[in-house]
Amino acid sequence: MLLDALRREAPADPLPETRATVPPTPASARQPAEAAGRGIAVTARDLRKSFDGHAVIEGLDLFLPAGGFTAVVGRSGCGKSTLLRLILGLETPTGGRIVLEGPETGPRRSEPPKRIMFQEPRLLPWARVVDNVAVGLSGHGSRAERRERALAALAEVGLADKAGQWPLTLSGGQRQRVALARALVSRPGLLALDEPLGALDALTRIGMQDLIERIWLAQGFTALLVTHDVAEAVAMADRILVVEAGRIALDLRVDVPRPRRRGDPDLARLEGRILDHLLGAQTDI
Amino acid sequence: MMRPTPLGRLRDTAVPWLLPVAILLGWQAAVSTGLVSNRFMPAPLDVVRAGWEAARTGELWTNLWVSTLRALSGFAVGGGIGHPLGLANGLSRLSERLTDTSVQMVRNVPHLSLIPLVILWFGIGEEAKLFLVALGVFFPIYANTLHGIRSVDPALVEMGRVYGMSRTELFTKVVLPGALPSIFVGLRYALGIMWLTLIVAETISASSGLGYMAMQAREFMLVDVVVLAILIYAALGKLADALTRQLERACLAWNPAYRSA
Repeated sequence: MLLDALRREAPADPLPETRATVPPTPASARQPAEAAGRGIAVTARDLRKSFDGHAVIEGLDLFLPAGGFTAVVGRSGCGKSTLLRLILGLETPTGGRIVLEGPETGPRRSEPPKRIMFQEPRLLPWARVVDNVAVGLSGHGSRAERRERALAALAEVGLADKAGQWPLTLSGGQRQRVALARALVSRPGLLALDEPLGALDALTRIGMQDLIERIWLAQGFTALLVTHDVAEAVAMADRILVVEAGRIALDLRVDVPRPRRRGDPDLARLEGRILDHLLGAQTDI
Repeated sequence: MMRPTPLGRLRDTAVPWLLPVAILLGWQAAVSTGLVSNRFMPAPLDVVRAGWEAARTGELWTNLWVSTLRALSGFAVGGGIGHPLGLANGLSRLSERLTDTSVQMVRNVPHLSLIPLVILWFGIGEEAKLFLVALGVFFPIYANTLHGIRSVDPALVEMGRVYGMSRTELFTKVVLPGALPSIFVGLRYALGIMWLTLIVAETISASSGLGYMAMQAREFMLVDVVVLAILIYAALGKLADALTRQLERACLAWNPAYRSA
């Protein structure tokens, strides 16, 4: 009943119009039924996590509707990465609980997986690019099937011609695109992005932001972006959570239509507001 | 970069060989002119002649074959125990706690110091040589396999877990390839120790093999055969190293450090 209450509060469909304006990508054209309503909804209740007695997350409540794009911002050490790792099951909560709900209660095997993109690409240097992408399909289908889907995912991120290369021969931005293809090849219901663009140069970063946004619009997974770059958060997300001292201090909607123009005054105003909040919190300490 | 001309390429290949060739010529000249007595040091041509003679009678091939077989079987036994044990101790905390301390204690015994004991146990038969080579090879293989597994990037292992790899996949796709560069270091070390151990063992106690051939030659003051045996050992060591290098290049092609120029 608690979950029902939370769900009522959530918007029924976070992207009613924008989805229609996006040109279909090859993948969504192939599997049109999958493109909508594939996201996983996330609910956290009174979530707590401490390391060696030091509390990082302190009684956090959260609901992420299926298919939404949420950004979590905060200063370093505020617990935003820990929150993401908890939601993915990479850490065990000290208290409270997290519930992930897939789109329908089908057989367990067919549930869309949850995937993460790390800050570093974390590619296997000894596997060719296409085989690295196929890692995202571990335990699914035959070898040939995995390869074919991996090639399709590489084409989606614009790296079809790099399939046979070693990761060490690629640029930083290309490696991160391979990591994105690996995360997406299994058609995830939840994609967690743990500051994945932090190490890229400014132009490459904008290109990656647009790529991730485009694929998210086409595939309809739930996206959770952890970042310290407020401009990035307001450019990409439709909801921004500011985390402070293990709690959500600010929960803002970004009602700016897509495609968003960089330097949009509405976005700038929102960015300023969040930065004021973060800097204000800093001077308090 | 400029494309090298054929002449330039020839020069690049020739340069490393200038010094060895000069030394050989000087050596030949010193012996031929009587500057160095050929009782101490045979002329290069004498060594070549001795090699030809030994090859013609078949004595060289028999001894070479015997020595190679000993080296390889000792290597197979030592590596066949060291590698799995290194893997086991790298992957299992229990296995490591159970065996690593003991292995480290035995490691501090110089294996060649066991020769008298080994002769008492096995006589001068094949078992003695096999035992010594296996023991010598075991430690570098074991230690480097263990170190390789330990040094696998935990971030990659975490990635493999998150992406749903089974334990087998995690081992074959992440852990083992990550440990491979270190395993190769162990392999090359072990090959060096393999020849070293065999030479010592054959020189001290044997009735066939290259070391035996050298010791026989010493009895009859055949300096050229002694030098021949030494050079063959050197060539075999170089050959083993070159083969490992090829294997490294094939297995570690992803790593720019190992890619052939």
